[in-house]
Amino acid sequence: MDLLLKLPPSELDDIAYSLPFSYIGDGESCEGVFSVAGEHIYIFVDGELEEKYDIKQFESFECRRQIGSSMAQGILKNGDAVCFCGFTQEYFVRYGEVMKLLEHYIRTGEMITDTGADEPTCPTCGLPLDGAAECVFCKSKGSTLLRLIKRIGPYRKYFIIAVICTILSQLVWVFMPYLDRIIIDDYVTPHLEEWGGFIAIVIGIVTMLLLAGVFEYLNMKNSFKTALNIGRDLRQEVFDKSQQLSLGSLSKRTAGELINRVSGDAAKLEEFITANGKDAIVKILSLMIISVLLFVMDWRLALMTIVPIPFVFLIVKRLFNTMAIRYTAVWKRSKTHSETLHDILNGIRVVKSFGSEAREISHYENCSLSWAKACVRAEIMWYLTIPFSEFVLTIGNFLVLYFGGSMIIDREMSLGELIQFTTYVAMLYEPIRWMIHIPRTLADTSVSAGKVFEILDEQSDVRDSEDSVDLDIKGDIEFDDVYFGYKAYIPVLKGITCKINKGEMIGIVGHSGVGKSTMINLILRLYDCSQGEIRIDGVPIKKISQHSLRSQVGVVLQETFLFDGSVLDNISYAKPGAPFEEVVKAAKIANAHDFIVKLPDGYNTRVGNKGFQLSGGERQRIAIARALLHDPKIIILDEATASLDTQTEKKIQQALARLTEGRTTIAIAHRLSTLSNADRLIVLDKGKLAEIGTHTELMKQGGVYYRLVMAQRQTTKMKKVLPQPAEA
Amino acid sequence: MVNEVNNQQEEVYEVDKLTLLDCARISFRKEKSGFLTLIYDGQEYSRINPTRLIPFYSKTDYISLSYENEEREFREVGVIKQMKDLDKEQYEILDRFLEYKYYMPEITKVYNIKDNMRGAIFVKCDTTSGQKTICVRDWYQNFRMLSAEYLYVNDADGNKYYCPMISKLDKKSRNVLEMFT
Repeated sequence: MDLLLKLPPSELDDIAYSLPFSYIGDGESCEGVFSVAGEHIYIFVDGELEEKYDIKQFESFECRRQIGSSMAQGILKNGDAVCFCGFTQEYFVRYGEVMKLLEHYIRTGEMITDTGADEPTCPTCGLPLDGAAECVFCKSKGSTLLRLIKRIGPYRKYFIIAVICTILSQLVWVFMPYLDRIIIDDYVTPHLEEWGGFIAIVIGIVTMLLLAGVFEYLNMKNSFKTALNIGRDLRQEVFDKSQQLSLGSLSKRTAGELINRVSGDAAKLEEFITANGKDAIVKILSLMIISVLLFVMDWRLALMTIVPIPFVFLIVKRLFNTMAIRYTAVWKRSKTHSETLHDILNGIRVVKSFGSEAREISHYENCSLSWAKACVRAEIMWYLTIPFSEFVLTIGNFLVLYFGGSMIIDREMSLGELIQFTTYVAMLYEPIRWMIHIPRTLADTSVSAGKVFEILDEQSDVRDSEDSVDLDIKGDIEFDDVYFGYKAYIPVLKGITCKINKGEMIGIVGHSGVGKSTMINLILRLYDCSQGEIRIDGVPIKKISQHSLRSQVGVVLQETFLFDGSVLDNISYAKPGAPFEEVVKAAKIANAHDFIVKLPDGYNTRVGNKGFQLSGGERQRIAIARALLHDPKIIILDEATASLDTQTEKKIQQALARLTEGRTTIAIAHRLSTLSNADRLIVLDKGKLAEIGTHTELMKQGGVYYRLVMAQRQTTKMKKVLPQPAEA
Repeated sequence: MVNEVNNQQEEVYEVDKLTLLDCARISFRKEKSGFLTLIYDGQEYSRINPTRLIPFYSKTDYISLSYENEEREFREVGVIKQMKDLDKEQYEILDRFLEYKYYMPEITKVYNIKDNMRGAIFVKCDTTSGQKTICVRDWYQNFRMLSAEYLYVNDADGNKYYCPMISKLDKKSRNVLEMFT
């Protein structure tokens, strides 16, 4: 990334980074330069040196995104912040990188100047690259399409058969007008009653038609085999990749986007191969053959046929963008319409209870009307453009009919020849129409192909090293000076060092967003820490194979996701093929058996999206049973009992006590009382480990934990003072 | 500790009140941290982060003054109903901060809009901070009308632009915008 975008107005030695900015620290606009040289940060405002800071006086650096601008700040050792400058958002990523590199410098004393080639935005179109090496929109369409075409390789046998059959069927269609010409010129025009020859030609035509049918059948069969197999391969590969990528890579995209890439984009490529890949060869070939035939038959008439074609291309090119925009507007309005409908119908109870039916009817009416108007505008455009371009395209045909007719009268051409000629002209328009649409199809396909290949080419940032081992985990966990941030320039955890012993129950406490769940994500190795090391039983976590690690860690989250399937499927998800007795045993220990027995189909009751709706507590008990069946060495409880009523919580606590017995357990809970049975508590504050010890020790210290407990007690007291809603 | 607890109790009980601040008693000071210090009723609040509560309707009405306490919890001192009630110097300090925080150039003329047919558009236009080609990703979300007149644009980098009255733009700009709004 280029971090020397604008050099300072006066000469500095050893400039490492230098970026422009447009606001000084207090918000006054200016033309400024932020430079890092040697051991100092220099702030230049309107050509003059305004401030100079010693980098080492700061403890950390951060970028704060505001609404329309952002600011770069240094945090002094006493906790005070110094704002260096304010800048517009296009520089955010670069300033973020500089802040990260400055933090690296204060930690290690090393100033990194080789900041790699990764640019945040595409230099051609300006769109963010989102970590991709090349812009999917500007990537050479040819190279992407070539990669797609190479995928035909394993199915080339089918593809070649399809191409040969298409060429043969095209040849049959090219030969047919010749037979028509013989019938007209030799039998119809001279009124010749020689039935033998006539019937032979008719039989020839029927045979040709049958042959064309057979070729078409073989062509379609083999084309679909090729395309569907390639589509299946792509879908499978994208899906496999989506399972292998780290959470960091996956969270860059929404689930909808990934689904779209697995199904939508792959389907588009499949369609391209079926409809266009093979067609490209055939259409171009038939265009050449028919053109040659037309010029051989009569070059003057052939010229008349092709004269309007360049005009059609011009018209279409001009109108296509406008049409596309109008259709996008239709799509946009229809999306708004369906969202509005969805919104109103989903919230119908609210609408009714507020008596706002009339307002919603009018709201819906407006959406529907604007959609209808957009449709009319787009359709009018379409029905003006297409018939007009068709008319211009076929002007050649009228010229051929006029001059061809004159040639017949002058006996320069026979009627049969003219009919053969006009049939060929009509056949010529077919590939031309296809060619008019092909640039858009190609553009569309290359972007879809780019998106699919982007995922396939992506390297997971959490990978097993070559010397990774399968470890039989005992349960000792050690954090050694661990730093981590989901976005490297906003650190979440800073310098965490602690040791969790085998069989210990540890509670992690702290305010929201302080990094509690992040610590757990690092233990699960859903992300890799940016600095420092996590060790399990003394082995660095990066040396333990991900499969081995995760198969020995059990997780119970606040919200349990149940897959669509039976209760049995959901519990045995942790250990496919587990004996039924083992599943029941796990369910019993998890206090789940009792309610499962009462379900209509027992363990076969379908749950999940389309199934029986279980309560939060019931889902939680299934998750505990699932974790028990997994028999993990380390248990992670992330707000496992939050949002449950006291009665249910008691049952879950019992189940959890059985689950965690003798296992290393790490629990997060906002309600500090739920961590009363923890052996030790880790208290996080502002991303750092503030305190560690037992409840009693920490209360005596009167620090962060003490304040948290007191604040919670106060809230509880206040809840008692405030009138509580009557129970239903 | 007792004081702190009492303060918290007070805050909780006052949470349902809209505390409108008396502009005559407000005094701001610029901080090195980039935020403002507020002195109100003799009490000093540092790292004040003013927020426009209705940024699309008004830039100077209903300005919330808040800060984060040591536990990084949100604390609101109160709301300024109308900035025009502040004295000139205070008005300028606050207005400059808000203009910087909500930096949002106004679109004054639109030359053309190019669509890459995959959700992104490139808007060549004049803005109050010069001529630009604004690159908008997912334009159906980020190039939208907030009302019949107010155009709001969020570009691919996160910069924001607006046009409060598209009907006041010249005819060519309106024609170009028509397709996308």
